[in-house]
Amino acid sequence: MDILAIIPIQFLHGLVYGMLLFLVSSGLTLIFGMMGVLNFAHGALYMLGAYFSFSILRWTGHFWLSMLIAPLLVGGLGVLIERFLLRKVHRFGHAHELLLTFGIAYIIEELVKWIWGNQPLMVEIPGILAGSVQFFGITYPTYRLFILLISAIVFSVLFIILFKTRAGIIVMAAVSRSEMVNALGINVPLVFMGLFGVGGALAGLAGVIGGPYLITNPAMAATIIIDLFVVIVVGGLGSLQGALLASFLIGELQSFGILLVPQMAIAFEFLLMALVLIVKPEGLLGEKA
Amino acid sequence: MRSRSGWIRFAVVVVLLLMLPVLISEYRMNLAITIMIYSVFALSYNLLFGQGGLLSFGHAAYFGFGAYACVILVKQLSLPLPLAIVLGGVAGCLLGLLFGIFVVRMRGVSFALLTLAFNQLIYVTAEKWRAVTGGEDGLAFVRPSFHMAGFKIDLYATINWYYFVLLVSLLCVGFLWYLTFTPLGRLNFCMRENEERAKFVGYNTYTARLAIYVISGFFAGIAGAMASSFQEFVSTTYINLDKATDVLMMTFIGGGGTFLGPIIGAFALTLINDLLSTWMERWAIVQGILFILLVLYAPNGLSGLYLTLRDRWSRRAAVETAT
Repeated sequence: MDILAIIPIQFLHGLVYGMLLFLVSSGLTLIFGMMGVLNFAHGALYMLGAYFSFSILRWTGHFWLSMLIAPLLVGGLGVLIERFLLRKVHRFGHAHELLLTFGIAYIIEELVKWIWGNQPLMVEIPGILAGSVQFFGITYPTYRLFILLISAIVFSVLFIILFKTRAGIIVMAAVSRSEMVNALGINVPLVFMGLFGVGGALAGLAGVIGGPYLITNPAMAATIIIDLFVVIVVGGLGSLQGALLASFLIGELQSFGILLVPQMAIAFEFLLMALVLIVKPEGLLGEKA
Repeated sequence: MRSRSGWIRFAVVVVLLLMLPVLISEYRMNLAITIMIYSVFALSYNLLFGQGGLLSFGHAAYFGFGAYACVILVKQLSLPLPLAIVLGGVAGCLLGLLFGIFVVRMRGVSFALLTLAFNQLIYVTAEKWRAVTGGEDGLAFVRPSFHMAGFKIDLYATINWYYFVLLVSLLCVGFLWYLTFTPLGRLNFCMRENEERAKFVGYNTYTARLAIYVISGFFAGIAGAMASSFQEFVSTTYINLDKATDVLMMTFIGGGGTFLGPIIGAFALTLINDLLSTWMERWAIVQGILFILLVLYAPNGLSGLYLTLRDRWSRRAAVETAT
């Protein structure tokens, strides 16, 4: 295969992973921007989405049903975590919140190993999405295009809600001026809890659609959480557009990095992260704190 | 421990440790060695975490770097093991200097993230640079005997190795204990409490933080070098995120607020892991729950909890005798 034909395919690979990453990181980055809470358990919630989907699929046989139920379950769990655990340690500071969510991630990971076992699970792709599609002379798996479609729908909806509706304006305002919004009579802790739920649900959804694509296994949380942290740092604290840009960059960096310098490909994103932290600590599109 | 009873307690512990090989089986002795090594690692971590107020997710980088350095020096250059272990510490120290230049500018969550990024950088380098590190297969070697001036000390035998690790660990613990009384050690506490003020008084907090970070890297490197010599094997598991979070768990559960807390954590977790893992596979979940309960209700870990309860108890006793 000549190099010109590889480039668009490689670009698509990077785009698919990047958009999946954005789906998971969107909730995380808004929460971080709003309350300064870096949720270590976010990757674990994403993993739970994949495992819930596996079990729902096994019981009911409906992929679409699992795409509906699993995110709701994970979102509910996110709400519970915020309400009953995170809120209690808020007064101890951000490092303490990080410790707590790290503990939660640790427990979820062990529970997953206990319930579903250590071995990777095969999640079957539903019939209509199983084949591949031809366009512009490229043959590409349908399922990956489906991931792109879902990601595109979700973040269009997310952008419209965030920038065009009252609820979105409250969230964005709370991200940049949390105390002012609180003073204006808006219940910021409630907004935060809701956002935690939505963020969890998005992570769960990403888990459902990512499960068949990235192999459902107990290490998937640890793998993605590091990418997520890179996205948060590179994109800028609390910036949704930054998260989109960073997810895209990391997806492509991994995709083309493996093509060009397979040995050092994984190191690139950590170098990028370190570079951004050192040169522009507020991130590419972040505001100066 | 400046009091007389403190010194007596310390002497009792040392005598007990010296007598331990007579009292316990070889298997338990291996366990004791593991505990001592992790105690040094956790204490080095606590220089940042408990004493300096910095949450690091990347301390395994220095542990692993020291471990690799030691194995490679013994394997390639046939250096004597004690020297290789010291050089493992120097390796951790140099890496600490290299990363520390950037890392100690950060605070809070940014510090945690940048240490994590550097940890992963070292991890993927170890994984991919097969020619030097052996990649995922790791490097194996045999712990060599130590020859000096006609003497030969067989470090391969568990009992000799036990005394060697005991000696090195006591030296490390002694130095770290002494450090808390030096101006630098005091400044470390001070920066945790109020860095702004430390600056205002005229201290260069950047240099101080860097010095602490480098010292911390040194002892993590020593611990890593001892660990790889003990296992006679080193692989990427010495640097991965699990290793970085293990030391956080030990330090936090034991309690970062007291000097001995990390040792208690290393002791408790290593022992419980060993005792329970055989008949309770899911101990890790209990450990996670214990961790969360401590985060929620006793942020200073087990040693902090003990001190709080002791205070409350002695106060109650005082009230009772008064009435």
